[in-house]
Amino acid sequence: MRISFWHLSSFLISLFVIIPIVTVFSSFFEDTSNYYQVLKDTFLVEYIFNSIFLLFSVLLLTFLIGTGSAYLVSFYEFPLSNFFKWGLILSFAVPPYIYAYSLTAFFENYGTAFTILKNLFGDGNYNQNIPKFDGLLGVILSISFSLYAYVYILARASFLYQSQNIIELGKNLGFTKFKTLYSIILPSARPAIIAGLSLVAMETLAEFGAVDFFSINTLTTGIYNSWIAFDDLAFANRLSFFLLLFIFALFIIENFSRKKAKYHFNSRGGFKQKHKIKLEGKKSFLAFLFCFSVFFLSFLFPLSQMMYWTLKFPENLFELQVLDLLKNTLYLVSLSSLVLIIFALISNYGNRVTKNKVLNVLSTLSISGYAIPGVILAVAYITFITWFDENVIKSLGFFSIKKIFIGSIIGLVLVYFVRFYSLAYNGIKSGYEKINIAVDESAYLLGYSKRKTFMNIHVPFLRNSLLFIIILVSLEIIRELPITLILRPFNFETFATTAYISASEDLLEAAAVPSLFLILIASFFIIIASKYILRENNE
Amino acid sequence: MNNFFEVKNVDFVAGGKTKVRNMSFAIENEGDVICLLGPSGIGKTTILRTIAGLQKIKNGSIELKGKTISSSDVNVEPEDRNISLAFQENSLFPHYTVEKNILLGLEKNKGKKEKQIDLKEILDLLDLSNILKQYPHQISAGEAQRTSLARTLLTQPDLLLLDEPLSNVDQSFKEEIQIRLKKILKNLKISTIIVTHDSYEAFYLGSKCGIIFDQELRQFDDPYKLYHLPNSIDVVNFLNRGVLIPAEVTSPKSLENKDLGTITGNFIKPFPIGSNVQLLVQPEDLHHDDQSNLKLEVVDRKFRGTNFIYTLKTPSNRLIPVFVHSHHIHQHEVSEKFGIKRPIHIDHIVCF
Repeated sequence: MRISFWHLSSFLISLFVIIPIVTVFSSFFEDTSNYYQVLKDTFLVEYIFNSIFLLFSVLLLTFLIGTGSAYLVSFYEFPLSNFFKWGLILSFAVPPYIYAYSLTAFFENYGTAFTILKNLFGDGNYNQNIPKFDGLLGVILSISFSLYAYVYILARASFLYQSQNIIELGKNLGFTKFKTLYSIILPSARPAIIAGLSLVAMETLAEFGAVDFFSINTLTTGIYNSWIAFDDLAFANRLSFFLLLFIFALFIIENFSRKKAKYHFNSRGGFKQKHKIKLEGKKSFLAFLFCFSVFFLSFLFPLSQMMYWTLKFPENLFELQVLDLLKNTLYLVSLSSLVLIIFALISNYGNRVTKNKVLNVLSTLSISGYAIPGVILAVAYITFITWFDENVIKSLGFFSIKKIFIGSIIGLVLVYFVRFYSLAYNGIKSGYEKINIAVDESAYLLGYSKRKTFMNIHVPFLRNSLLFIIILVSLEIIRELPITLILRPFNFETFATTAYISASEDLLEAAAVPSLFLILIASFFIIIASKYILRENNE
Repeated sequence: MNNFFEVKNVDFVAGGKTKVRNMSFAIENEGDVICLLGPSGIGKTTILRTIAGLQKIKNGSIELKGKTISSSDVNVEPEDRNISLAFQENSLFPHYTVEKNILLGLEKNKGKKEKQIDLKEILDLLDLSNILKQYPHQISAGEAQRTSLARTLLTQPDLLLLDEPLSNVDQSFKEEIQIRLKKILKNLKISTIIVTHDSYEAFYLGSKCGIIFDQELRQFDDPYKLYHLPNSIDVVNFLNRGVLIPAEVTSPKSLENKDLGTITGNFIKPFPIGSNVQLLVQPEDLHHDDQSNLKLEVVDRKFRGTNFIYTLKTPSNRLIPVFVHSHHIHQHEVSEKFGIKRPIHIDHIVCF
């Protein structure tokens, strides 16, 4: 009986994830509007080219920024290096679309840069000399400065766990610092770096807000447009299929790399703090300059731009229903976290007590939702509910369920669940990996029932992991845009949707206030999370 | 009369693989301690886990106090067996202090037994008083193992299972714990099965010992018999305390070896006169005598505190170990000649 319960719950969770994939696939058997023909004759090649160009540019930039800064703060001591080790994660608080607003606001004609020059040097025709970071370049910069932290975090964790001996061995063999870096340090951190880059790749392909803002046509915006502008769900799903194929290839690479990375961590007897090399003089200044530039460009720049506008146009602050937005955000965060944690706990516990292979496969499947772009998830979800409502519910003579599941909190939480389940599942799983199975068995032999073992041993031990998951889920939901935008109930806004709507109406100044709040709240969560990460690393 | 605990014709299986086949053994009386010996990976831990109820069996049966606790159709849950297992690996609850971990054992036992175990005695025995406020991640592997042992002892189970209980404990401390552990188990009449690969530990703690290899329980006997009357060459090789040399049976009480000459004694199993056998020679079977004309070359000498073990080479290139008391008046260097007392007499002659 117990086994079947675990199977059932894991099966249900997997089913949630499979639904959008199957829906996307089934689009090949449906008619599409003539948008498909129009697109095929006109922009389809451009969509694909833009997506690929964007992907590789972002990968290159995030690799250089993420690995470079991780290398410097992991191995060297220079001014503010201790601050940078968590300060560089703060870029996560600025989603690419908000970065895009800042970039435009600063460099546009008569924008902030113009104002600064005017205040410094008086009136002049500065616009023609101010570089413009819009279009594809703007998107590349926005995504890269927001997402490099994936590479930074994973590369740094890997550098921290590298044995001092390996690096000393390099010195002993007479390698230069550069040769040590590329022949010893980078190869042994490769799985972690690839895992980080794969996450960046998936997020880039899924990115909606920034590409939409700069009017760059990619596969993701194509999906959104075919649904919004042409009301062609079938074609939206067909485009999604191609994007998904590409993403699943990345997902497999990422999974494979992460397994290796995990092995790499576990093979160490324990973490040993390395002696950092103290940099002096010019080298110290250059290291500081690099990290500070990254910190400034990725975090301080968008933050100060948003603050500047908020202060410049204070009326926007008073017009915005901050408390309502905060209430909505907290409501979504707490409900989603609760549902995610309950299911992730059940599934992990089921895996632990049954050690069943089928269950394991189901669990792996159930965490693949994070690879599916939010736009696809939302569109596929609507497609499925509509189909299910018309073909199953109504044919059985029941009332339509569309209103319950589309444009409702339930729908929003369900799709968040699919998208963020891997965060909760993997978070609890890594917590569980620290509890030896002999601990459970000792508890049984001490007379504990399975329930008592779970409540008295597992839950208290997993408390920190659960807290960390809540922080991560909150961070994701606060920043999340496409799912919320498509599925939110009428008149239900979050900071992200309010900022997006203002920006899409060309009211960037009004977008500044919700963006600023979003950055501040997200920063708060990141600071708490980074303390947790630093503690885990014994730093 | 029924045995207190009995395993009857059980196949012990782990991860889908049969580790030990058709095994049978028993603890005759409550309070007896038995030990299971065998090389690593042979399935000793699987046996304990199965007895504890953490793994099921498909054939045979396991009985405790006359009740079947495991069989193909009976499986009493681990928490209902009143059997405790001290794991070899760290099994302490990570979010509780050492003290709380230990007290959980006492909690389980509360009011169950008439003769209650003394907490202080256990803490002293295992030298745990100084680390009571520490958390499992703050203590060493040896301390974790002693904590786990304390927790298990305090449950005062009907049957105690110890998996390599002292494998992480310092050598200097080990013997003292062995002595005190034996005393406690005897005082409280706790029936125990100890799994170990240390034959000295097994011979000291167990009233009976079993040797397992090649998926079988090869011999289950009291330690003296196991050592002096091994029933197979495999048991001899496992215990690694002697060598086998070729000899010819010359009478019901003697054999002849090309290098050592005549050896007399009592055969534990009769062999026909004239048959060629493998004779077990253990280090204490031969005695040193400087005056003897039977001289062998010393190839190695190990100092073991109370004695030396000389390894001698015979003319036919066989190596034979010989004990010599360490207060023996002089020592022999490698390559020197070493006299063996004649005539050679071995109390019980073991041949294969």
